[in-house]
Amino acid sequence: MRFYAYKLLLLFIILLTSLTQTAAALEAPPLKGRINDYAGMLSPTAARSLEQKLAAFERETTNQVVLLTIPSLEGDVIESFAIRVADAWKIGQKDKSNGVILILAKKERKIRIEVGTGLQGVLPDITAGQIIRNVIAPGLRSGNPDQAVSAGLGAIIDATKGEFKATPTDKKATRKKKSSGYGLFIVLLLAGIVITAVAGSSSRTAGVLAGGVSLPVAAGIGLGAVLWKLGILALLGGAAGLLISLLMRLFNAGGGGGGYGGGWGGPTIFYGGGGGGSSSSDDSFSGGGGDFDGGGSSDDW
Amino acid sequence: MKRISMHLLGLVLISMLSGCGYNTMQANEEAVIAAWGNVESSYQRRNDLIPNLVEVVKGYAKHEADTLKAVTEARAKVGSMQLSKEVINDPAALTKFQQNQGELSSALSRLMVVVEKYPDLKANQNFLDLQKQLEGTENRINVARERYNKSVQVFNTSIRTFPNSMTNSMLLHLKRKEPFKAEEGAKAVPKVKF
Repeated sequence: MRFYAYKLLLLFIILLTSLTQTAAALEAPPLKGRINDYAGMLSPTAARSLEQKLAAFERETTNQVVLLTIPSLEGDVIESFAIRVADAWKIGQKDKSNGVILILAKKERKIRIEVGTGLQGVLPDITAGQIIRNVIAPGLRSGNPDQAVSAGLGAIIDATKGEFKATPTDKKATRKKKSSGYGLFIVLLLAGIVITAVAGSSSRTAGVLAGGVSLPVAAGIGLGAVLWKLGILALLGGAAGLLISLLMRLFNAGGGGGGYGGGWGGPTIFYGGGGGGSSSSDDSFSGGGGDFDGGGSSDDW
Repeated sequence: MKRISMHLLGLVLISMLSGCGYNTMQANEEAVIAAWGNVESSYQRRNDLIPNLVEVVKGYAKHEADTLKAVTEARAKVGSMQLSKEVINDPAALTKFQQNQGELSSALSRLMVVVEKYPDLKANQNFLDLQKQLEGTENRINVARERYNKSVQVFNTSIRTFPNSMTNSMLLHLKRKEPFKAEEGAKAVPKVKF
């Protein structure tokens, strides 16, 4: 009987070693949150705002979308690595299998979107392929990972809502327009909003004043607006200042409320301290038990 | 009194059954059957894609009649196979299944090499989409096969280890299931780069 047990143990060890050998594979790294940037491709700001965006998306739809970047596949194939990650992380709710994992391998320049079985209807392989080909790969190729990943995750979200259109040209066009002359204005405006918010939370008049000054200043420096328009802008700014002050009051009092100005993607972080609702990195995130079958798409960049 | 003792006997029997692996083995066999279902449906998915693919390629690559014919024939051969649950209990049937699907795989990969010569075809949106679907399907097949093999391993282990082995030989008579073997060229399934 002892001998039998020995043999069994030996067999087990042989089996185990042979298994690990045939796999010869990269293990799935631990799940840190929605953004798992092991390759360090994103700026901290972008990572934080994407984390919040994905958290909000999950609150809204229960769909779980996560990002994983790795420095290298170390000889593994991205498809088999991806399914291993999917099996380990179990992204998506158990009864819905509504998880999506976007994986980037930096050294091999490989992209994969792994789609949970529950989302393959709205995000079929074709669409996943189009998102990679038209949205993510061009952005990565032009050396802008923040924008590429953000747009890619945005497209995945749009697709799950049935809103993704495979028209990469639109996205580029609007992007160009924004950055052409309005860049400085937007930065100044954001600064103005922050100042107004800080002033407004102490007193309403200070808020109105700060708003009334900062909007014309931003417009004057950023856009070179004509003098007579500045008066109108001052009035407008004052009104905005009042509104912001009132909002800040609400924020400080209630602590709730959706992140103000969330549409910009960037400025949400300024308000991180304001309410209780916007913290995201500290609420622990884990997969809900979603199932994957290898569906999705992969490509190079 | 008699009824109570019958109930007691039943209870004892049930607890014995759970202790001797009866239920475990049944559950493991069900897992194998479910995994096989996924294997079959992912292969079926590929079969369903092929007519469209052939149609699109035909429009651009008229000179590749032989390659296209090989794909169509291999598909027909796969389609003519009588598939049932019994395949997983019959090593010979599984080998045949794997062989036929393997032939289709290699016919498809030859087709995908041939289309490299036709830039118009490669620019065709319809073709690109079909190609993405085919890639996704091949990947699903790989995943389904791997999971099937894992479930088979669990099942085979459970019927051979003690005390399950005794229960099996006396009551269940379940047979060892055959896993997929890695085939040469299996790694070279259509993986086309543009």
